[in-house]
Amino acid sequence: MSSGLFFTQLINGLSMGALLFFLASGFTLIFGLMRIVNLAHGSFYLLGGYAGFTTAAVTGNLWLAILAGTAVAGVIGLTTERMLLRHVRGDANAEVLVTIGVTFILADVALAIWGGNPRTVDVPEYLSGPLRLGDFFYPRYRIFIIVLAILMAIGLYLLQNRTRVGAVVRAGVDDREMVSAMGININRVFTGVFIFGACLAGFAGVIGGGLLSLLPGGEFEILLLSLVVVIIGGLGSLSGAVIGSLLVGLIDAFGRAFVPDLSYFTLFGPMALVLVLWPRGLFGKES
Amino acid sequence: MAGATRPLPALSRIARLKASLLIAAVVVGFTLPQFLPSWQINLLSLILIMGLFAMSVDLLGGYTGLVSMGHAGILGVAAYGVGYVSARLAGPHSQQIVVGLLAGMAVTFIFGIMAMRTTEIYFIMVTLAQGMVVWGLAFRLSPITGGDSGLRAVLRPEAVSAYWQWYYLVLSVLLACSALLFIVVRSPFGLVLKGIREGEGRMNMLGYNTTFYKLYVFMVAGFFASVAGVLFAYHDQFVSPAVSGILMSAGAVLAMILGGAGTLVGPLIGATVVATFQNVVSQFTLFWGSLLGFVFIGVIIFARKGLIGALSVWWERKEAGRSTQVQ
Repeated sequence: MSSGLFFTQLINGLSMGALLFFLASGFTLIFGLMRIVNLAHGSFYLLGGYAGFTTAAVTGNLWLAILAGTAVAGVIGLTTERMLLRHVRGDANAEVLVTIGVTFILADVALAIWGGNPRTVDVPEYLSGPLRLGDFFYPRYRIFIIVLAILMAIGLYLLQNRTRVGAVVRAGVDDREMVSAMGININRVFTGVFIFGACLAGFAGVIGGGLLSLLPGGEFEILLLSLVVVIIGGLGSLSGAVIGSLLVGLIDAFGRAFVPDLSYFTLFGPMALVLVLWPRGLFGKES
Repeated sequence: MAGATRPLPALSRIARLKASLLIAAVVVGFTLPQFLPSWQINLLSLILIMGLFAMSVDLLGGYTGLVSMGHAGILGVAAYGVGYVSARLAGPHSQQIVVGLLAGMAVTFIFGIMAMRTTEIYFIMVTLAQGMVVWGLAFRLSPITGGDSGLRAVLRPEAVSAYWQWYYLVLSVLLACSALLFIVVRSPFGLVLKGIREGEGRMNMLGYNTTFYKLYVFMVAGFFASVAGVLFAYHDQFVSPAVSGILMSAGAVLAMILGGAGTLVGPLIGATVVATFQNVVSQFTLFWGSLLGFVFIGVIIFARKGLIGALSVWWERKEAGRSTQVQ
């Protein structure tokens, strides 16, 4: 393999991993605190992305699009948590099944509003095209995503470990009863974390909408990738999300390049291996 | 021996009721083709196949507490096995069926090995991913699966090609499989499954290798899902990626919960509702998925015990009323 092709796939893999990190971090955060596996996460991504697409098409501003996509996903997250999940709190199976029902509904909402054609979020001039470094050309937008993900990872780490809100959330992960006994309204924390996770998914949707196309069924593709990330990395762990995203992004990129017909299978193998050896993922905690 | 002289206990009222309902259902089932038009009999065949599939999901979800969200992956692989031998290799029916069942069981084994050490939500997540991988491969491996357009011309065997012959075959297979499933859930093995559902840790402490039992029950459920897959391929005479799709898996889980998880009969009734609903509603609207979503959420939030659960509560109340009257 030529080194040029290798670097291209490396950047593809890293940027895909970066995109998956936005999704997986929200997914894992929601699970860590609330023990809910939010299978509507892919739909939050898709609807956020579509909202970003429309905003970018109207205003021509990517940052406004990101804001709009994040906000739309946040509102959907709020509605899901307040109206539906609250009624089945504590029953793990019921919670997961409700989020699957939400997925079906949101899929039709997206289809009714944005139709079946693939959509791509417009990327401004200064972020498109290649960036030349030495002998190699890198796509600017992919570099942009990678930088964003690094900033996001640092930001999330600081938020979780250096702030009061982070301390409350960490305490909630360990013992929710004790947190509510300390006078903290745990229900409000739950809602907040769920919205935050949904916002991350919507954010990922707009960013991903500039990289991949948004189309019906896309929520399941991205959900599968996120599931594989958290299955490999371990649910509820931020470091697991980082490592899992990187692994899955790289496997996916190199798999698509070399065995395009089997691109799903290249993910399946590592997932199977991890599940047999570490059923809770590389960084998952025993519960 | 006291036990030898003890007379057989008289059947309780509920057991007599159940037995007469069963006999009535079988008699009605076998006479229906005399009265109903062909399209309704075709719908009934589909309902019975979906029912078998939902019962297989119930063995895992209702009895063992392992809700599979990717069960259609197994059904799909079995259906594609039949379709591949039929459409691509032009093999005889016996070969089609054997390949379909073997392919289904092989995939079940791989999926089972992956899922056997997981519990609850992890199990849902892993099986969901498995089902989605099969669905994705069905689209992408077009040399084998025909991609989006699927495999056509999967012909039924000559002897069951007419709609009513096909219905009788499906009904017979369903009855045989239901009998087997009832034996399974009433056996000591079935009790171990319920034990795992109620508390896997305790079963481990009692010396049961629950990982092995979970793989075992996954294989048993996979066998019935494969049978449903083979029937499905011949029913539609066409195999497309949708057979392994998430709507299929979710439809079976909905049928299970709607009818009553852990009852076997419930999922069969649930499948009747779901398949009829799907068939009728999809003629009027493209947005079948979101309607399924609303029903799904409604049932989970408001009626988690399902129809059979509600009925048994009603019966117990009635019986309690009777016994107080007698006193």
